[in-house]
Amino acid sequence: MAKKETRSGAEAVVESLEAAGVEAVFGYPGGAVLDIFDFLTGAKFPFVLGRHEQGCIHMADGYARATGKPGTCIVTSGPGATNIVTGLATANIDGIPLVAITGQVSLPLIGTDAFQEADTTGLTRSVSKHNFLVHSADEIPETIAEAYYIATHGKPGPVVIDIPKNCQQAMTSAQYPERVSLRAYHPESWATAPEIARLAKLVNEAERPVIYAGGGVIASEAAKEVAALAHRADIPVATTLMGLGAFDENDPLSLRMAGMHGTPAANMAINEADLVIALGVRFSDRVTGRLSKYAPAAKIVHIDCDRASIGKNVRAALGITADVKDALTAVASRIKAAKRPEWTARVRGRLEEKPASWKRSRPGVIMPQEAIEAIGRAAKGRAIVATDVGQHQMWAAQFLRHAKPRRFLTSGGMGTMGFGIPAAIGAAVARPDLKPVAIVGDGGAQMTFEEVVVAVERSLPVAFFVINNGCLGMVRQWQELFYRKNYSGSILTPGGRAANEKIDAECVKNGRYLPDFVQLAKAHGAAAWRVTDPAKLDAAVARAIRSKKTTLVEIVVDPGANVYPMIPAGRTVADTVYGN
Amino acid sequence: MKSQTYRVSCYVENKPGVLARIVGLVSGRGYNIQTLEVGPTEDGSVSRMKMEIPGSEPAIEQIVLQLRNQVNVMEASFRKAGR
Repeated sequence: MAKKETRSGAEAVVESLEAAGVEAVFGYPGGAVLDIFDFLTGAKFPFVLGRHEQGCIHMADGYARATGKPGTCIVTSGPGATNIVTGLATANIDGIPLVAITGQVSLPLIGTDAFQEADTTGLTRSVSKHNFLVHSADEIPETIAEAYYIATHGKPGPVVIDIPKNCQQAMTSAQYPERVSLRAYHPESWATAPEIARLAKLVNEAERPVIYAGGGVIASEAAKEVAALAHRADIPVATTLMGLGAFDENDPLSLRMAGMHGTPAANMAINEADLVIALGVRFSDRVTGRLSKYAPAAKIVHIDCDRASIGKNVRAALGITADVKDALTAVASRIKAAKRPEWTARVRGRLEEKPASWKRSRPGVIMPQEAIEAIGRAAKGRAIVATDVGQHQMWAAQFLRHAKPRRFLTSGGMGTMGFGIPAAIGAAVARPDLKPVAIVGDGGAQMTFEEVVVAVERSLPVAFFVINNGCLGMVRQWQELFYRKNYSGSILTPGGRAANEKIDAECVKNGRYLPDFVQLAKAHGAAAWRVTDPAKLDAAVARAIRSKKTTLVEIVVDPGANVYPMIPAGRTVADTVYGN
Repeated sequence: MKSQTYRVSCYVENKPGVLARIVGLVSGRGYNIQTLEVGPTEDGSVSRMKMEIPGSEPAIEQIVLQLRNQVNVMEASFRKAGR
């Protein structure tokens, strides 16, 4: 790194990002970051220009999920900063390490309602792990070092650095620190010897144990340790949505995903277990259903690096605040080898007995589940898949075979529509060795479609699959099941709208889906085609997976398909709905 | 869950934005801070905050755990008020 005696704060920003080991920056310029952008052209890392700040931050998020390294995003003040709030919240709840640098109006102008002024630290406080407002150029190198430290230590999360324009322009000789030491922040925590002994005893004495693995397993790179524990003690493994890939679903011990749309095998195993070994999870309401009936026969062991998540939703017989990998490594030698053929056969058998029920495609109508299966078949385990949010997301969780960590990127906690397209681009930048794939719905695709340009202009071979059912499928499904089939605001096609949602008669008469995603993709420079015939589905999908170019495939599917099985919100495994 | 008033106290770095962060963490969860007292300790770089918050014990405990997660919070604890 260049150690110049004095340089501007803006130059110090870029120099510090290089010193922090940043390998890619996503962003969008504007008045209050022009000084920083002036030095980006000479930076050692590539700069990726998004088309909307929300796209930029989701790209940085996709990059971070794909690699485990912190993503970086630079945007301007005011609207630039407000546009990244959704992306910060998305990363914050899923524990994704990010550093977002926002420009700010000059210090003397703060509080004067200056042009493009917004209270960025106020706006981002509750959706970030931490944030800083820089007060002088001298603080810049140290603040950037601290931001990367905070983003990646303890439970990962997004950190915002708000840098006023005059601090970017002022001169400083401050250097990037060799080490970071924060006075009040010491998140490291290890399992104590008695905790490890207790953990081993509980596992060794259990007759019907289940491992329940979440995103924390992926964050702590503990997939190998989880597999070792499962195999040694013959314990079936269920994962959360965020934990998909933490355990190989091709493994005979895999029960696949638990929760609202999880497999009956996983949910019933947790219901019957005498020990639930919860690793890197936070017991989301989408997983537990009614808390008082959750895992009624089980003692719960909860290992998580975030002390605040232990005991937050479920009471744990043993709570251990530690990194999952460290704790499993420490306990490994004390776990007795075991075989429990009756238990594993019983819980695994249900994967076959009670699969998700759905109709196969019929002539002229592709079922969305089959579209996902076709993508899985063509990808052959060599893809990194980002999804948007809704029905297609659940089908992608259910119908792809998740084998490795960091290959399935999805907005779990926040459920952010518009995440899929930019996250896939971030993943494509991060992992050129894998085939980047986005599976998105027609609703979410319209929220961040502009980012397709970024993939095209950088020759990223992203295959975008738009699963088009002409409606906001998950909303429509809930309205069908719980709101008397009153499809208020959820139908995107011109027909079928309520009387007071009246749209232009010409549009209704044409009756076709808008936008035309194939034309839209072509206008963005991508190769694109549409498939409506089940007989042509595999070929249409495989062509995109094989292509070295940016492609988009619009897959028109049955608009009435629902996601099953489903445990309605706040209910129990006994209330599982298998289909209609 | 029985609601009572709890006294939450914490030691924080005396820096701009820390007070807002802590107050926001409590109010963002729908809790009302009835009294608030902030001042520097003998070590001027550290402030002590005392808050009285009505709520259930698990909710207050969760607030304290979240306070301890904050980068600028050195210590946080709670007890029942009025004793």
